[in-house]
This record gives sequence, structure tokens and C-alpha cells, in this order.
Amino acid sequence: MIKNIDFKFEIIPPIINSLFDDIEHRILSPLSCLREFDNHWMLEFDLPLVSKKDIKIIFDGNTINVEAKLKEKYSEEQLGKITKFEYFKKSISLPGKIDSKKTAAKFQKGRLEIKIPKKMLGHSVKIN
Amino acid sequence: MKINIENLGFSFNCKLCKNYYLKIAKQDTQENTLLVGFPSNGLVGTFSVSYLIHHLKMKQVGEIEIPDLPSTLFVEGGEILVPIRVYNKNNIFIIISDVPFNQYLAENFAVAVHKFCKKFAIKKIVIVSGMETASKEKKPPKIYGLVTHPILENTLYENQIPKFLDGSIFGTDAAIISVFRKTKIPALVLYAECHPFFPDPEASIVAIVTLAKILDVNVDTSDIQNKMDRLRIQHRNLMEETIRTLQQQQQEKQTRAPQIYR
Repeated sequence: MIKNIDFKFEIIPPIINSLFDDIEHRILSPLSCLREFDNHWMLEFDLPLVSKKDIKIIFDGNTINVEAKLKEKYSEEQLGKITKFEYFKKSISLPGKIDSKKTAAKFQKGRLEIKIPKKMLGHSVKIN
Repeated sequence: MKINIENLGFSFNCKLCKNYYLKIAKQDTQENTLLVGFPSNGLVGTFSVSYLIHHLKMKQVGEIEIPDLPSTLFVEGGEILVPIRVYNKNNIFIIISDVPFNQYLAENFAVAVHKFCKKFAIKKIVIVSGMETASKEKKPPKIYGLVTHPILENTLYENQIPKFLDGSIFGTDAAIISVFRKTKIPALVLYAECHPFFPDPEASIVAIVTLAKILDVNVDTSDIQNKMDRLRIQHRNLMEETIRTLQQQQQEKQTRAPQIYR
């Protein structure tokens, strides 16, 4: 692994969530990662086989839910049984206060990027 | 360490395993080259090396065991596969690992690769890996090269591979580079720009094209291009496992650094 020093922003080790596919409901758990920046969070989902129009992003307090329908069914053998998956679905709880109304999302190359501004609380301290 | 090799046209003794006296195959006058691929950023090494094995119809000729690697076996079409395998065709050898390594295992793996090179008269090794990039542009990923010996600088020049100039390396790449730079066998590490946390077959295609130029073989990448989306879904668990291992490696590395430098 290599880390290029040109990579300007500071990265807190990304939070990688475990994958639990829901075989019964034919739902895949997508890969995701959450990175913290000074004034925002960057939440990314890997959503191959998905069209932008089929993605739903819903906020529920500090939890963000992403659901996407696959363009075509994806078959995988799990536990000795072939399952045809039709959806991606995942919920991520964000660790800090967020400003969900100013959230922006972008989808390209099958990757969903959600930029979530932090809610800045507190007060300044005067230096004597 | 135990190295089992069959039908390579060589014979050797190994302290921990049986002696293998093998068939003598036709010797190739070209220099032997070894490619090494293992799970790292974007799974670039895994995708590109396994695609070459498949595309060049290379045969599995052996397997490598390293101390303390947890017992893991894969079953494919009823065939039992060990995680670290050796493939060969003509003068090209490939060592592929299907499991990521922690720092300790990475060092053992690097030593095993070097022992393999000595036994099989490997003249150069090429390692394929990924480099995380902050670029969000739609341009194709770039690939950079890092060499351990000046003799391979010419390979970079001939194949128009820009040199990797600045950065820090850790993990399995670093372990292999550290071992080979002290030996007579030169190593070239190819770093394809990729997404660090998601499988990146697009970056792997760039690596495959570059490898094909270095090895002077024809490789059609249309098959992997057609399967990119499905490969990304299929390799989610390996990517997740790799990220956890890489994070652990990074933490292990940081804990060894003096406090003042953090």
C-alpha cells in the first residue's frame, strides 16, 4: 500500500462497516466508507450495476439510509444456495452533529459520494 | 517455509518438506520474470495478476506456505486451492495471494518470494499494487513505477512509466521492496492510481496493459471491462478484509514511531 503525500487532506482512518447481505429479501450490503474532514463528513458507497435514478438517500436524524435498485439481478452462491440479489441497502450512523439540509450528493462511475456538513456548535475563546 | 513446485524443469530440496525430483522441461533461453500480486488498495494486484493467469492460460505449478498464516483453503469447482499459489507459462512466473497480510506475515511472505526467486533463477520481479488518489477527475488512472535497482530504470523509460517520486510505503509492498533492494534481484513496483477503499477494476486494466507491455505479451482486456461491475460486487468481502488488514498494518507502523514524529 502506498500513501501519496500529494493527498492533501487529513484522513481519519475511514470507518468501514461490515457487510451483511440479506438473502431473504435479496438485498446486498454495499461497501462504504466514512471520512472526516475539518468541516464535513464524506460518506461514499460503492454501487456498481446501479443507475443514478434508482438511488434513494434518506436522512433520519443522524442516520443516513441509502437504497438502490440494481439494473440487472446479481447472482451469488451463499451458504450453498444461489441467490439473485436485486437491491443494495445500508444505513450509516454519523458520529457527530450534522447539517443534513446542506448535504450534497454526486454519483459517478458507480460510486455515490455524499458530502455532509458538520453542524458547528460552541463559542470562541478570547485570548488575553 | 515450504515451497512445493512441480513440473518446472527444476529440482530442489526443502528442509521442511519432501524432496521433489521433477521432470526436466525444455529450458527457455529468455530470462525468468516473476509477477507478484496480493490484496492491497483497490485490489489492483489481485485483479490484474489473476486476469493475466486466466488470459495467458497459465498453469498452477506450485504453492507456497508461510509460517503462521492462518489455515485457509478455497474450493473452486471441487478443487482445493491454497491461498498462495505459483503459476507458470514459458519464462513468466506468477505468485498470487488471495489473502491480505499483516505486517508480520508480509515480512514472511517477502522472504518466501525471495527464496523462490533464488531457487528458480528469477532475473527480475514485478509487483502490482494500488496507490490511493484524491483525484476525482474522469481521466483514466495513471500508473507509476518504483525500482529497487538502476538496471530497471530503462524498463520504466521504454514503457513510458513515470517514476514514483514522493510518498511513503507500508505493508506488503514495503516488506518486499525492503527485502529485494538488499539482494541482486531487481524489483519493479507498479502503482496504479485507484480508489483506496473500493475494488477498482478500472485501475487494474491500466495495470494489465502496462504489464503486457513489460512482458511483451498480447492481452485483450475486453473480458475484464465487461465484468467490472460484477467484479466489484463479488470482491466486496475481500476488499473489506484487506482494508482492515491495511489499517492494522498502519497502526502497527505508527506505534513504532517515536512520539515526537507523530
